[in-house]
Amino acid sequence: MKSRPLLSCGKYLLGTGLFALAAGMAFLYSGWYPIGADVPHNGLTYWALETLRERSIARASADIEVPGDLGTPKRLLAGGADYNDMCAGCHLRPGEKESDFTLGLYPVPPNLSLPHAQADRKDLTAQARRRFWIIKHGIKASGMPAWGPTHDDERIWNMVAFLQRLPELTPEQYQILTARSDEEAMPQGAIQDGNQP
Amino acid sequence: MKSSKSFFLLGIPALFLAASVSAHSPKEHMKDVQQKPDCAAMKDMDHSKMDMNDPVMQAMMQKCMKDMHQDSPASNGTYAGHQQQSEKAEQSKPPRHAHEK
Repeated sequence: MKSRPLLSCGKYLLGTGLFALAAGMAFLYSGWYPIGADVPHNGLTYWALETLRERSIARASADIEVPGDLGTPKRLLAGGADYNDMCAGCHLRPGEKESDFTLGLYPVPPNLSLPHAQADRKDLTAQARRRFWIIKHGIKASGMPAWGPTHDDERIWNMVAFLQRLPELTPEQYQILTARSDEEAMPQGAIQDGNQP
Repeated sequence: MKSSKSFFLLGIPALFLAASVSAHSPKEHMKDVQQKPDCAAMKDMDHSKMDMNDPVMQAMMQKCMKDMHQDSPASNGTYAGHQQQSEKAEQSKPPRHAHEK
């Protein structure tokens, strides 16, 4: 006798679930959702996608080991040239406020040349892990490509190293650090490190 | 028959083209961007605020030292002229860089 209300409750939940699934599928196939990059997501969709992205990156990058020599001139020089070629169009250079990509992409790529809030060492490590993972693997449906298939880990860490100092650079410093010369075109390890004893 | 012929005509060249697309070196980036470091801008910077222990400053010095070596007429001329230029550059380096190879 007691199982009857439970059964009807289960049926009700199953019916509701099936209805929601059917409604969701109908909405999906209807084409009503505005997919153009010039129409922002609604608040709920934006929150869901942002939360999904941040949680996924945090979990996937948690165990990445950060090299201890991220602050060396060698890494800054190597990473700066790559940043200028591969990233600056979307993530901007010092002194720039926008580009065709920042105006057209959605979500808008973060301006990495802007000073970020003061972070402690733990935050900096987490930030380095996060940036390495994003550069290597990219982010689905965001315009951020995965550079891992064409760039080895050392080159990606060089870019992470450069990103740490980028907000402090003037346009003149940026130009000098990122301009390529024949030396930078040489294989990894060919550039001498001014910090080595 | 027709489809197999078009496969050989279009498919095989497309396959070779796809296979040639692979990991690239920094030299390939250079094809698109050919700019030299504007080391003259360093002269206009406020030297009193420059920290020679800062990796950014060291990196800039490294870059501009190389640039000066490449641009100097001595580097295209005699060995003696080049050596003289190198010695001058070494002397102008801060003590921290004296150990650089």
